[in-house]
Amino acid sequence: MAGLVTTFGAGAMTNSIHEIREADFLFVIGSNTSEAHPIIAMEMKRAVRRGAKLVVADPRSIWMTTIADRHLPLKPGTDVWLLNAMAQVIIAEGLSDENFIAQSTEGYEALAERVANYTPEEAEKITGVAAADIRATARAYATTRKAGIYYTLGITEHTHGTDNVYALSNLVLLTGHLGSRSTGLNPLRGQNNVQGANDAGASPIFFPDYQSVGDPEIQAKYEAAWGCSLSSEPGLNLNQMMKVAGSKIRAFFIMGEDIVMSEPNVAVLEEGLNAMDFVVIQDIFLTETARFADVVLPAACFAEKDGTFTNSERRVQLVRKAVEPPGEARADWRILIDIARASGADWDYQSPADIYAELVHEAPNFAGISHERIDSEGIGLQWPCPTSDHPGTKFLHEGGVLRGKGLFQAVDYKPSVEIADSDYPLVLSTGRTLYHYNAATQTTRSAGLPEKQPEAFVELHRKDAGQRGISDGDLVEVLSRRGSLRCRAQVSRQVRRGCIWMPFHFADSRANLLTVDQGDAVTGTAEYKVCATEVRLLAAAAADDKTLFPGAFWGEPGGATSSAT
Amino acid sequence: MYTRSDSPAMTHDKKTRAHVPELLQQLGQPSAAGVDAVARHTGVPAADVFGVESFYSLLDQRDLKTRVCTGLSCRLAGAEDLLKACDKARLETAPTSCIAACDRPPAMLRERRVVCEVTTGDVLESQGSFEKLYSAAGSDWRGSIWPATADEGESLLNLAAAPNWSAAGYAKALEIGPEAVIQALEEAGLQGRGGAGFPAHIKWSAVRGEAEPVKYIVLNGDEAEPGTFKDREIMLRRPDLVLDGLAIAAHAVGAGEVWLYLRGEFEIPREIMERAVAAAEEEERYGDLAFHFHSGHGAYICGEETALLESLEGRRGMPRHKPPFPTAQGLWGKPTLIHNVETIALVPTILLRGAEFFRQAGKTQPGTKLYCLSGHVARPGVYEMPLGVSLDELVEAAGGYIGELKAFSPGGASSGFLPASERARPLDFQALAEVDSMLGSAGVVVLNEGVNMAWAAAEQLEFFERESCGQCAPCRIGTAYQRASLERFREDGDAQALEHVDNIAWEMIEGSICGLGQTASLPLTSALRHFPEDFVANSSGGAPQ
Amino acid sequence: MSAPDQILVDDQTLKFCPGETILDATRRAGCSLPTLCHDPRLEPVGACRSCLVEVKGQRRLMPACKTPASPGMQIETRNERVLRHQRVLLSLYLSDHVGDPSECEDGAPCELHALAKDLGNLPVLVPLQRKHKPRADRNPFIEFRSERCIACARCVRYCDEVEGVNAITLTGRGLHTTISTASGISLYDSTCELCGGCVDVCPTGAMAEKMPLSAGAAPERELEKVRTTCNYCGVGCQMDLNVDRAAAAGRGQVVKVTSPPAGTAPSDGNLCVKGRFAYDFIDHPDRLSTPLLRGADGNLHPASWEAALERTAAGLQEVAKKHGADALAFVSSARCTMEENYLVQKLSRAVFGTNNVHQCAAT
Repeated sequence: MAGLVTTFGAGAMTNSIHEIREADFLFVIGSNTSEAHPIIAMEMKRAVRRGAKLVVADPRSIWMTTIADRHLPLKPGTDVWLLNAMAQVIIAEGLSDENFIAQSTEGYEALAERVANYTPEEAEKITGVAAADIRATARAYATTRKAGIYYTLGITEHTHGTDNVYALSNLVLLTGHLGSRSTGLNPLRGQNNVQGANDAGASPIFFPDYQSVGDPEIQAKYEAAWGCSLSSEPGLNLNQMMKVAGSKIRAFFIMGEDIVMSEPNVAVLEEGLNAMDFVVIQDIFLTETARFADVVLPAACFAEKDGTFTNSERRVQLVRKAVEPPGEARADWRILIDIARASGADWDYQSPADIYAELVHEAPNFAGISHERIDSEGIGLQWPCPTSDHPGTKFLHEGGVLRGKGLFQAVDYKPSVEIADSDYPLVLSTGRTLYHYNAATQTTRSAGLPEKQPEAFVELHRKDAGQRGISDGDLVEVLSRRGSLRCRAQVSRQVRRGCIWMPFHFADSRANLLTVDQGDAVTGTAEYKVCATEVRLLAAAAADDKTLFPGAFWGEPGGATSSAT
Repeated sequence: MYTRSDSPAMTHDKKTRAHVPELLQQLGQPSAAGVDAVARHTGVPAADVFGVESFYSLLDQRDLKTRVCTGLSCRLAGAEDLLKACDKARLETAPTSCIAACDRPPAMLRERRVVCEVTTGDVLESQGSFEKLYSAAGSDWRGSIWPATADEGESLLNLAAAPNWSAAGYAKALEIGPEAVIQALEEAGLQGRGGAGFPAHIKWSAVRGEAEPVKYIVLNGDEAEPGTFKDREIMLRRPDLVLDGLAIAAHAVGAGEVWLYLRGEFEIPREIMERAVAAAEEEERYGDLAFHFHSGHGAYICGEETALLESLEGRRGMPRHKPPFPTAQGLWGKPTLIHNVETIALVPTILLRGAEFFRQAGKTQPGTKLYCLSGHVARPGVYEMPLGVSLDELVEAAGGYIGELKAFSPGGASSGFLPASERARPLDFQALAEVDSMLGSAGVVVLNEGVNMAWAAAEQLEFFERESCGQCAPCRIGTAYQRASLERFREDGDAQALEHVDNIAWEMIEGSICGLGQTASLPLTSALRHFPEDFVANSSGGAPQ
Repeated sequence: MSAPDQILVDDQTLKFCPGETILDATRRAGCSLPTLCHDPRLEPVGACRSCLVEVKGQRRLMPACKTPASPGMQIETRNERVLRHQRVLLSLYLSDHVGDPSECEDGAPCELHALAKDLGNLPVLVPLQRKHKPRADRNPFIEFRSERCIACARCVRYCDEVEGVNAITLTGRGLHTTISTASGISLYDSTCELCGGCVDVCPTGAMAEKMPLSAGAAPERELEKVRTTCNYCGVGCQMDLNVDRAAAAGRGQVVKVTSPPAGTAPSDGNLCVKGRFAYDFIDHPDRLSTPLLRGADGNLHPASWEAALERTAAGLQEVAKKHGADALAFVSSARCTMEENYLVQKLSRAVFGTNNVHQCAAT
């Protein structure tokens, strides 16, 4: 979010999902779209059928490359080199939109100077992508009017994730590919309400609608609205919280996250959790993290409550209660009210619609949206939607960049914090598969999906496998400086030589035992895409012994492993 | 992991798909591994490859070494006995639709090679070995023709003459230019010989007039209308005329490539045409004009021009909607001139001997016509006669009827049956349309008084049911329903079983996408109309003696 | 002479836009033409023949779905010829279909039976009684029931044109035309991504959801549909939870998920494998149904809400008192609603006085 807020003034997809099918050029980077966003992939397929050109930049030969005109198989973590080289080509070949740059941007000179040395030939050495492919992609992007860029966590889950977003923004500003249908920069959100959680102010630095907690006027506004005094001190981001868990942070309230599955370098995190004074977990299942909880509050799932999710394209949509929650479980919003009241506050909301009305009251971009309006119009509304008669906004920046002027952010390539060496020569990236979702708490409890994809695996290149005497289906051990786990080897044409890939869904083989916990300087988002590893074949005898699985948990979830009491 | 077989349909090279059927043909018996191999080789999705395999009878059952033709003429000549003999000789076989050998029945298929005039004795002596059977039965596929000797006078196609490789017609076309060629066709009044009788020059002008620079010529050599075998005879005897005609067409409409689509059972004609093309290319007779061959794989529907184009593109042979017509969007979406073999073969003669000569050669409509005569006549064969001769005139040339004439099909199964009273009617496009029949491909099948028309109709209905492509419901279900109705009548003798026949026939005409469904009821409805005595309750619906 | 953007349909003048077919124009005007193989997401093929209309000047009936509207076109959609065609056509379809509507519609409603009912007065044909081989496929989601299939190929075209994986094909010929994977392998072993789009587009319930059928769930028309937003990725597909109100001891049970109509934003009526099929977790026995408190024995024990809320408030307040408000951290969730995220940050800021509130999706 922060990257796009800085460069364009709004941290969201610039365009609507429906516009993807009309694009003439699609640049997909760091997104395994067909598995992580199948529906977006359908739109892209539609565009390709129509004759649109598709370029996929990804270290792996993902499915999308099978329909792409060009695949740029960059080495993990070298995105800035690739993108700066594209910027260099656009500038050097005179393909930039000079009018747009002059009228609607600032910081161009610094960028032009910075990228001058990022030639495609040099980029080829670092990224592994042929200079000719970089040139051709840059030209096609710059010269196609309806050109859209699509990215996900392959861009952002790096220590330099914000730099990557800046480098993408630069391409957009150079070409003026902004502010019209099918043309823009589009982060595809990985979870149902990523956009909404940020929009609603679940952020250490923003109130709802990206209003800064450090801005005295905003602070005063919320103090008046909520009738209390508020801290102007920015809070800790998630990455920072995790690192000081058990030291500076002494109590956690955790709603709907399984942090020991999702956070990096979990061995260290678990030590911290053991040292906490107090942990509250609010969830629908007894998660792995619940082993550290003092209180576990049973929540309702999406089918059992009312509310709204805001999707990737800024569309606020209704969630409707279909069935009653099991036993005494309650909707999260109801529990939160209960906690506030037990803590002395006099919260008095009758329904999610009430809460939403309060939210938008102080949030100008959402002010025209209400539950009633979405319900009566039968379709979600896309912000900005400042008034109740505003139709919502299909694509951003139509009347000019929302920030006022688009801000070029010259960035330099920084190597990933951990690079492959002789001890750990293989670069691990992690990600999602089509058949599971995040910590798989829901998908492993849904019939059929576990059978289609029952266990963790690591994809590795044929030659890397051969060197280590590993065949397809062998049980292997994957090691990093932080930990190790065991899983099946999948000898694959998808990964490039020297790289391996794992899904992060499986509790028995938690990829996050391996990953690096260093976060991006701006957002705190951790490096899930690059860490140095080695893979070893496990002897058959060891393979049979289930108790040897070091990636598994020792006890059952909820067992007596917390020292908090 | 994504192998190429996983790549979606949207990305593979369209022209590579054309090779799918022949690649399948080269593999042994159908298997999942074979389908996968073809998918990987071509980039076509495995499911699509399987869809193709299962559509064509010669691919779907390609491990079957022999088949027995069950077309009407072959049945009249004892196809049923052959099937029984095969059983007795433990020769694995299956019935197949007409294989264009009605003049020399009964015929069998050895893989893709037609074997004529097979006797039950041949079969029994083969002792289960189809190699033996093949060496016993005749392998030369040429049948008898009329005129039987080379005749430069009346005959336009002159089948009895030796091929003439001088390409005189093509030279003439180069001399007079495309516009004049098309004008000559118009003046000659050449109508398509494939069945519809559509004026040829209109198609030629249309293709020529398209702005798209890439154009194709397609030769429709998928001769599969039951009772028809004239194109076979042209290719066996006069490949020169076919090539010349194709080259003239390419020159006139501005096409650079020619595709010859021959039915899969035309292995022998294909060899002859391939030799002719090789020689022409060797001496660059037609400049840089490129000729390509594509075999059918056992599907009658592919004789329909748009189904043929689908098949040529390596897909299931399901007809397209018209418009757009192939002249605007044909093969791979490009303007395409598609003609029957006979139509194409007539073109050089029109240029060389003049439009007027062509007009005069016809009796009621311009030109001569190759009539395929089979069934109860003395000398079945291909008869080149003035367009518009009557059945009696035709059969007279063939040495007369065997037995008393009861009924005849003037233009293959699709033309239904006419009674003996129509024996003097001109066999042309117009006169036959007037009695709800058609000249079609001029596959004239003669039936004598020994034939029960319920039996004859049943055979034809089975044919249409088997050959319906399945795309549209009126044909897919209608053909099956009509067949089932007649079957119930023949089993129970209950005329009630036929009560919906007319209603369904009406719907098949109104609702079917292509000509197959529109004509598929005609054998039954025409038999009901002209031979009600064969459909009275409890009449015997048995086979002829 | 009529206006350049008008056609005449059954004596009613309709406007059309360039590129529209007769079907598009009539649908927009609210006229209902029957269709079986049509889906707005797919290229029209005109194969089912149910939308044939009479166009003046054309000898043959024309498929409205595939025939472009042109200025001044005169179209009859309800004359005797068109109605006779529709009746005989539907009777043919029904002669090769599960004839009894209640037997046929054990899962999804059947569009064929619905059309037949609307039209009425169909000739009654003798059923063809074709033999169908039951087809076992070990995938747990999708079942193909060939006796209901009308070979409209919506599923095949969807798999090609929308999902783009080409896992299924039309196979066979004539009456034996049906749907299959390559060589009849399991969908699990094919390129299928189990999106279930084939089930969604099937007009007759031939492609069906396996789970509700094998669980003996009530037919779809007896279920209550609740439109909601998918809870997986950030696309926010709209979907209908099909609820059996009486099930799960009166709590109600989601027994099936169906898509809204094509054209519904944001996903055009499409869903993926997770959205359409991964709903079992809702009723999973592992669901938490009571608050838990960690006891002196180190284990979690069921507790009352009162006790749990009291302990929560006290635990957080104690730490704040001892170490300051900034020793608290609130982890909110991109999985929860806007309202809940709003309340968490308000709880953190207004009730406990810290800006330490975040969630894992901030990039």
